[in-house]
Amino acid sequence: MSKIVVLGAGISGHVAASHLRRKLSKKHEIVVVSPNSNYQWIPSNIWVGIGRMKPEKILFPLAPLYKKKGINYKQAKAVSFFPEGDKDETKPYVLSEYVVGEKKGQQEKVTYDYLINATGPKLNFEATEGLIPGQNKTYSVCTYTHADHAWQGLNKVIQQMKEGKKAKILIGTGHAKATCQGAAFEYILNVEQELRRHKVRDMAEITWISNEYQLGDFGMDGMLMSYGSMTMKSSEMVEMIFEDRDIKWILGAGVNKIEDGLAHYENLEGEIKTESFDFAMLIPSFSGHGFKAYDKNNNDITEKLFKGFMIVDADYTVKPYEEWSVQDWPETYQNPTYKNIFAPGIAFAPPHTISKPRQSKNGTDIFPAPPRTGMPSGITAKLVADNIIDSIKKGEESLHHKGSMGNMGAACIASAGYGMTQGSGISITTYPIVPDYYKYPKTQGRKLGKTFGEIGLAGHWLKLALHHAFMYKAKMKPFWWLIPE
Amino acid sequence: MTQRISKYQRFKMMNPILQFFKFIYLSIKIMIIVAGGHGGTRKTNH
Repeated sequence: MSKIVVLGAGISGHVAASHLRRKLSKKHEIVVVSPNSNYQWIPSNIWVGIGRMKPEKILFPLAPLYKKKGINYKQAKAVSFFPEGDKDETKPYVLSEYVVGEKKGQQEKVTYDYLINATGPKLNFEATEGLIPGQNKTYSVCTYTHADHAWQGLNKVIQQMKEGKKAKILIGTGHAKATCQGAAFEYILNVEQELRRHKVRDMAEITWISNEYQLGDFGMDGMLMSYGSMTMKSSEMVEMIFEDRDIKWILGAGVNKIEDGLAHYENLEGEIKTESFDFAMLIPSFSGHGFKAYDKNNNDITEKLFKGFMIVDADYTVKPYEEWSVQDWPETYQNPTYKNIFAPGIAFAPPHTISKPRQSKNGTDIFPAPPRTGMPSGITAKLVADNIIDSIKKGEESLHHKGSMGNMGAACIASAGYGMTQGSGISITTYPIVPDYYKYPKTQGRKLGKTFGEIGLAGHWLKLALHHAFMYKAKMKPFWWLIPE
Repeated sequence: MTQRISKYQRFKMMNPILQFFKFIYLSIKIMIIVAGGHGGTRKTNH
C-alpha cells in the first residue's frame, strides 16, 4: 500500500490526483492538500472579468467530488517539508496547517510515500508597490474573485463613459519580470469588444503595457508561424490585431509602482515614465511560496528542494542565452535529491527564461518569465502520475514517461471577444513550447505548420468548447479520461 | 509591416458557415498537435 500526497488542487494537482485515483486500486491512498475549497478553470476567468460569465460557471467544490471518488482531501496549506521525516516521525512528511473549520490553525504531519508538489505560483503582488487588486484602480483576473472584482471596476468605468466621461484603460504586465502575457492579451481584446458592445468604444483610450521586447513575445521569445498561406511573426500578427482595434502599446516596460490611477515604469532605454489610467488590469509577477525544508535532524535543507520554485531534473547551470538548449528543460519533474518528490505544472523551477533576457540602460532586468499554461501543466501532471503509478506497480523506480517543454506542443486559444455570433478568438499552437534551435534552425526554433495562428469566430467557439470539455473532465464524469490534457 | 484586417478578411473571420468548417478543422488540427505526443529531449537530439 502506498500513500501519495498531492499539494494543490489547481489544474496540475487535480489532474494528477484524478489519474492516480483512476489507475490505482483503493488499497493505495491518494491525499490532496489544498487551501482552496473550489476547483477553478482559470482560462475562463477572462470572461468573468468582462461580466459575460458568472464565477459559478468556472468552479465547483472539491470536497464532495473527492469524497465520492475516494480521494482524501484536507483543506490545508503546506507549511514546510520534511523529506526525511524527523526524530519522532520516520516517514517523510509535509507539515500542513488547516485553514477552515474546527481544525483551523492546527498543524498536521501529512506523511507520504510519494509527494507531488503542485502548489503553482504565489501571485506576488507585493513585488510591485501599490499593485493591490481592487485598489488604486488596478485589478487582476488571476482568480475568479479577482476577475469578478475586475468586472465591477470595469462596469463602473463603462457607466461613467455612458455619461460622457472619457476613460483610459491600461492592460498588461505589472512587473518587470511578470509572465502570463497571454491572459492579459485575451483580456485587453475582450475589454475592447465589450466597450464596442456597450457603444462606448470611442470614449476610451486602450493601451497595452508589457515587459515584452516585441509584441507577441508571450514569454516564449515570440514565434514564427503559419498564418493562412503566409508565414508571419507573432509580433506582426499581434501588431495587426492591435492596429485593427486601435489599441496603443508600450513595450519593454517594467512597472515598478502603482499610485491611484498612475503606473510608474522604467523602459529598456532607462527612461522613467508614468502612464495614467481610469481602469487597469496588470498581471503581477509570480514567485515560489517561500517553503522551507528540513532534514531529520532539523537542519535547513531548503536549497536541496527549492530555488524559488521546486528543483527538478532541469539543468540549472548558469549560461548565456546563446548556449541555452531544450535539453536544459526537465523531462520527469523529479527532485534530484529526493526521488519520491515531483513538481509538475508551475511548481517547478525553470532552468531559465524562454525569452531573451534584457536589461535597461540602468541595469534593471526587464523581460518576461517563462509561462506554463494549463496544457503543459496538465500534461506534466499526468506524466508524473503515470511514473508514480508504474513505480508502485513494478516495485521499483520507473521514469518511462517523459515530457519536456522542448518536445511538447501547446495550444493557446486566446479569446478576443465573447459572443456566439459576434465573438472572436485567436487560435495559436506552438511546437515545441521551448524553441529548439538545433532541430528547427531556420524557423526560429519552431516547426512551421505545427506552429500556426488563426483569427475568427471559430476561435471563440473552440475556447467555449474547451471550457465545457475541461469542466466535464475536472468533474470526473463518465469517460472523463478520454479528453486529453 | 503593419497589416490591417481587410473587409474581406473580416467577412471570412466572422461568417458562421465558413467558421463552422474552420472550427472542425481547427479542432482536429489542434488535437493532432497537442495529443500527438510528447517526450524527452536529451537522447534524441544530439
